[in-house]
Amino acid sequence: MTNIAVPVPIRVKQEKGANLRPWQRAFVAGSLTPIMALLIFFSVLPMVWVVVLCFYNFSPARAGSGFMDLGGANPFVGLDNFKAMFATSQTSHIFRLAFLNTIVFSVLVLPVNLVITLPLAILVESVHDRLKGFFRAIYFMPVISSAVAVSLMWGFIYHPQQGLLNALIKAIGLTPPRAWLTDPNASFLGVNLAMIAVIIAYIWQDFGYNLIIFIAALQGIPQEFRDAARVDGANAWQEFWHIIMPLLKPTLLFVCVMTMLSSLQVFVPFQVMTNGGPAFQTEVLVKNIYDYAFRYKQMGWAAAISMVLFMLVMFITFIQFRLLRSEVEY
Amino acid sequence: MRDKILILVLIITFALTACGGKATTAPPLQAAPTDTPVSANPPSSGEKVTLKMWSHSNPAFQKANELLIAKFQEQNPNIEVKFETFEYDLYLQNLETSMVAGTEADVMELFGTWICPQYASGGRLMSVPEDVMTYDQAKQIFFQATLDGYYCDGKLYGLPHEFNLENGGALVNQEMFEKAGLAFPPQWATFADLIADAKKMTAVEGGTMTVAGFDPITGDGLTFTFLAAILEQGGNYFAADNRHFNFDTPEARKALQMIVDWAQKDKVVDPVVFTDESNSVSTAFWTNIMAIGFIGSWAAGEGLISYPDFKFDYVEIPTYFGGERHFAADSGWGKVVSINTKHPVEAWKLVKFLTVEEDSAVIYNTTSGTIPALKALVANPDAVLAKEPWIKPTFDLLPHGQFIGNVTDRDRLFYTIVYPTVLLAMQGGTSVDEAVVKINNDANAMVDEAK
Repeated sequence: MTNIAVPVPIRVKQEKGANLRPWQRAFVAGSLTPIMALLIFFSVLPMVWVVVLCFYNFSPARAGSGFMDLGGANPFVGLDNFKAMFATSQTSHIFRLAFLNTIVFSVLVLPVNLVITLPLAILVESVHDRLKGFFRAIYFMPVISSAVAVSLMWGFIYHPQQGLLNALIKAIGLTPPRAWLTDPNASFLGVNLAMIAVIIAYIWQDFGYNLIIFIAALQGIPQEFRDAARVDGANAWQEFWHIIMPLLKPTLLFVCVMTMLSSLQVFVPFQVMTNGGPAFQTEVLVKNIYDYAFRYKQMGWAAAISMVLFMLVMFITFIQFRLLRSEVEY
Repeated sequence: MRDKILILVLIITFALTACGGKATTAPPLQAAPTDTPVSANPPSSGEKVTLKMWSHSNPAFQKANELLIAKFQEQNPNIEVKFETFEYDLYLQNLETSMVAGTEADVMELFGTWICPQYASGGRLMSVPEDVMTYDQAKQIFFQATLDGYYCDGKLYGLPHEFNLENGGALVNQEMFEKAGLAFPPQWATFADLIADAKKMTAVEGGTMTVAGFDPITGDGLTFTFLAAILEQGGNYFAADNRHFNFDTPEARKALQMIVDWAQKDKVVDPVVFTDESNSVSTAFWTNIMAIGFIGSWAAGEGLISYPDFKFDYVEIPTYFGGERHFAADSGWGKVVSINTKHPVEAWKLVKFLTVEEDSAVIYNTTSGTIPALKALVANPDAVLAKEPWIKPTFDLLPHGQFIGNVTDRDRLFYTIVYPTVLLAMQGGTSVDEAVVKINNDANAMVDEAK
């Protein structure tokens, strides 16, 4: 009996799959293989390919000598692509501008997004149940709209002569900016006006996503905690700050990480509304990658920028996890 | 264990399938020299052959290609042409990814100026076999500027459809001319006359320019104006090696100063409000916010689709400095054959049909709104002018055009180097001297990076 009883926990753990019948195992393999193949061919292999390419001076317009056209006319250059990022050429200068603009964009988008979405979520949560769905739907609509359509729409709103925004500004007797999206000399608090205009358009489209997440999180906070705070004499602000906020911390972490990740990778509004202008003041990393990979056929350089973006995303996500980690469970 | 083997086999099968694209399409001719005459290759067997042809999805170009392919298939029942189009940006992406995998189409529509510095020198294209057409034969029938983008290292890598002209002409708004009491269509003797008219039609309301008298601000327009103004003065924008650039010249400074003056001295265009991103000439002209729009005649054809009743004309503009006309021109859209094609005989037969046969060229040019590359269609223009009369003023310009040259990366030179710098100078963000030096340095850095 002892001989049998002792190895049981180990055997159960080791041979869990062995209990499956052959058809069950075939089903599992059959179910997982397509997903795995999809992941491998459309995510893992392209990522590996990008890592390989960033060590080559690779152009898809040139036939190389080796596997996948590597080598020969597309030579191995080691770390040259990364060293070139610190050079004085226009290519390097635009990359550094794009890097800076990407960070400025993300750093501005995140707090503005949170300042809008969290109070709005509390407001929506506080209205009558019949109206909640209506507000949620209204605010979520831009999220499911085409990014290109939204960018075009905001392009029209900002149009210097026929735009709605300038018409409104003039209607209330103020002087609008000369141009929202194309003036290289217009700025507000040191940030170019075109960048601010794109941030507004982006947040308009994106904030509904965070709003829904916050609403869901608020609904998940047990009412007993709030009731207890009120019994103890907490006012609305104290209830929010000492009860709701700590309990929202895991959600806040998720929202911060996701918003930062998406804003570091924004492409469409910059491509459609400003095309990186004026004077490269809205050039961002993803657009820079796109331009050099597909317009200028410098895939090696574009791959190296992709790696920098990857490292940036990793670093910022790591920092956010460290700063916002929470031990609160409910 | 058996399941693991099964999964492994499945994954390897997928991997081999995905990575095997190039091997399965490996052409029998790949090892052959690209200048091998087609007749030296295995002859067409008469069996049904399927060719794949790719182009961008501009509706006018797509329609032109579809009409011609239908006609070609009628005449060649043993050849089926599968024509696929892609939205412009997607087309470029597709070309690049497919060329690496060796899965590109047999025949492709490419822009002539891209051909030599990028695709031909990269070994991606088949040269035109001599029994299809020699360079000397091509020079006899095509305008030189249309052809030279396809010709390098003593080989011709495709045949052109169009004379891509962004110089020498402008759209003019009839209503605005008449309202200002100006003759229409205008007959300008000098460029100063054009600017004088433009000033009369420029309008500013509440500090915002609502009508630009003369708008040359597009990525192509500013660059071609800059190059043409250099050439008109007898200057050259290439350095002695014909690969690097020399924009740091008195001619380039004078050319740029002239462009900057249009904005800052003559004030016929506000370079902040009227840019390629905000009020591009090809679209904004039709909304009555510019009187004279400097752009190629193709914009007239495109505009007429959306604004058929718009009263306008396309007119020749004077030379910038009053001398003989000179300008740089792209080699425009044309057809090329992939080095990976399995059917070179049929592919070149299709290309020749599309580009060389006059009837086909008439259909292509009139449907796509482009200027013919064939000299014969300009010498006997009735067939073309019957359908696109507005391009007539361009015919006198064509002999003055020279191919822009091997500019390494045409789009990068135009849209990342010259256009933003010239625009910034017009906006007062940099001086003419600084702008010329910057363009010179950036353009040469681009050449060095491409080595």
